[in-house]
Amino acid sequence: MPDNEYDAIVVGSGISGGWAAKELTEKGLKVLMLERGRDIVHVKDYVNANKDSWEYEHRGGRTQQMIHDYPALKRDYPLNEKNLDYWASDKDSPYTEIKRFDWFRGYHVGGRSLMWGRQSYRLSQLDFEANAKEGIAIDWPIRYNEIAPWYDYVEKFAGISGSIEGMPQLPDGQFLPAMEMNVVEKDVAQRMNAHYKKEFRRMIIGRTANLTQPHEGRTNCQFRNRCWLGCPFGAYFSTQSSTLPAAQKTGNLTLRPWSIVTKILYDKDKKKATGVEVLDAENNQTYIYNAKIIFLNASTLNSAWVLMNSATDVWPDGLGSSSGELGHNIMDHHLGVGASGIVEGFEDKYIYGRRPNGIYIPRYRNYFGDKRDYLRGFGYQGGASRSGWSRNIPELSLGADFKDALTEPGEWRMGIGGFGETLPYHENKITLDKTKKDKWGLNVLAFDVEYKENEKKMRVDMANDAVEMLTIAGVKDVKANIGDGTLGRGIHEMGSARMGKDPKTSVLNNFNQVWDAPNVFVTDGAFMTSAGCQNPSLGYMAFTARAADHAVKELKKMNL
Amino acid sequence: MDRRELLKMIALATGAVVVGGEVFLTGCKTGAKTEAGFTAANISLLDEIGETILPATSSPGAKAAQIGQFMKIYVTDCYTQASQDEFTKGIVALEEACKKMHGKTFMDCTPEQRRELLLSLEKEAKEFNKGPEEKDKTLREELKGQNKVYDFVASPKHYYTMMKQLTLLGFFTSKPGATQALRHVAVPGKYDGALPYKKGDKAWAE
Repeated sequence: MPDNEYDAIVVGSGISGGWAAKELTEKGLKVLMLERGRDIVHVKDYVNANKDSWEYEHRGGRTQQMIHDYPALKRDYPLNEKNLDYWASDKDSPYTEIKRFDWFRGYHVGGRSLMWGRQSYRLSQLDFEANAKEGIAIDWPIRYNEIAPWYDYVEKFAGISGSIEGMPQLPDGQFLPAMEMNVVEKDVAQRMNAHYKKEFRRMIIGRTANLTQPHEGRTNCQFRNRCWLGCPFGAYFSTQSSTLPAAQKTGNLTLRPWSIVTKILYDKDKKKATGVEVLDAENNQTYIYNAKIIFLNASTLNSAWVLMNSATDVWPDGLGSSSGELGHNIMDHHLGVGASGIVEGFEDKYIYGRRPNGIYIPRYRNYFGDKRDYLRGFGYQGGASRSGWSRNIPELSLGADFKDALTEPGEWRMGIGGFGETLPYHENKITLDKTKKDKWGLNVLAFDVEYKENEKKMRVDMANDAVEMLTIAGVKDVKANIGDGTLGRGIHEMGSARMGKDPKTSVLNNFNQVWDAPNVFVTDGAFMTSAGCQNPSLGYMAFTARAADHAVKELKKMNL
Repeated sequence: MDRRELLKMIALATGAVVVGGEVFLTGCKTGAKTEAGFTAANISLLDEIGETILPATSSPGAKAAQIGQFMKIYVTDCYTQASQDEFTKGIVALEEACKKMHGKTFMDCTPEQRRELLLSLEKEAKEFNKGPEEKDKTLREELKGQNKVYDFVASPKHYYTMMKQLTLLGFFTSKPGATQALRHVAVPGKYDGALPYKKGDKAWAE
């Protein structure tokens, strides 16, 4: 084959792109994986992974220069000194906010699989049915039983630790041994679960893509809790630790960093994509690569951006826009609401090790007979820990006694924060802003996204329920935390090219194929027809593996 | 600090906290970076202030963590211009207050005199901070739910509050602070959520 010809092209190297590359190469396809940013080599390039706090000039904090350089990233925790290089430059890649949207991106090999929170939950049948039952947006084109085996499949490889619970709203999976709750979490969970026994409201240990035993040649978690710097043990799932080495082992993968895909090339006679155009981010040259199939995994909003820039001679608003839904129905999880308080009676207990995981309370609202004045619901994440040196010590303010007091752990506190589902609103959209260019002269995205009345009502429950549950569990001095929870901060962007049953109302079919170009598969968060309230990445893995399987079967049948 | 750490920090940040979460999260308008103009004498003074707050005991104190040098770097690089100005003015104000109370410079004072001064500044700061705290709270409430792009600027606190915050932050994240005053294990290797604890056992640094 000429060196610009491949069987498949994968655009993007994050969680879903890595899975696409692994699956397609393992099925024998010659695959080119394109990544817009730099390479980050497993272990070798995790330059801060073994640094201690005192080795950072600003102890991990943020400087005014960083605040100046990162007008979007500064809005939440990602702007920090420790892994600054893992976040995309807001200056090189600006965007337009018709309404505020906090967009935190990772433009490098591995994408946000390096920095992700690793919480891994399945969607349930209730999630897949919700739109249809409630008459919201459009129905998902698949049901839980169709995706369940693919959840099994990806969990077995990725390594997800968790507990078997038998909760209908949060299906169990192929888990590695669960991590442990600490003594206070166990106590809170026991009281809470006893109180709510009848309604599937339960506090469980978080399900996380951190290994609790050696798995697939990777070392188990060492409880450093420095995951987002890159793990030298390969103990959490990332492209680098997991899917990339698997793909490379086949000998079928070519990885090309610094490759911004500017468009998918479309043959209007054959009604198929023929390849992609790449702008080399280093030398600004344009290259063409051809392939039989294309997996678009550029991250939810950038995958839509690529489609919007493709086949514009046929459809002015881009490939996949014939439905009028491309770039619409943008979702995130709204958060920033919860509660916390003091737990007494465990002063003789402490913790050893830094568990990179917390507790989870799966959604219970609007399930099992519960009916609220809003649709859908929310889950909580949180945990208990003893406070540290930044706490206030009554009656002491300086000197040896003050220092001695601060060198001991303080009171136990338990806190939980909600992750709420947002509905897919057609009017929540991104568009191309043709008046503003990025560093490479490319049009940027403009955001017109907000949460609405349904989410606002839900947030009231999120706060009240958090206070109620902690109080019932015996937590003292419980106070609600109510933040403004602007969208984007969930870092769970979804829905810019939804799946559906009808090309008139959806961008993708039931196998993530673009209706207007069936050899183009979009399997990142763009495909989500509704958001659920669960952390979504595990679902992207499952849908990607399923789509790759379908793609190769269709190729063999000469259908693509 | 990932999302879970942030949640934890916010959970802990209720009540009057010495180093609040806003230190890490506040988005600030930024002007041209100026050198805050710390002299060697300033750094020695800040070392002694830090040492008065967190003295050497059975473990090293703030001075051993080069707290003056840390404050210089942090104030210069991380503080807004307004907070930076308050801090540098504060160095002068502290000396004036010291002269007034003890008739000599802070460096010439005995440890007990230094304590006495800082305790009085602590009271003064508590009173003073009510103003900026109230102002920031009101502003936060106004901004909440507006879904606008905004720059939230935390009003400068009393200079002594800043010095104390930086002493704690700088010391407990320093090598002597983290490894000798606190306990630090780089690679725990396992998790025990019910470790027996007795009064006097040190907290983990991380």
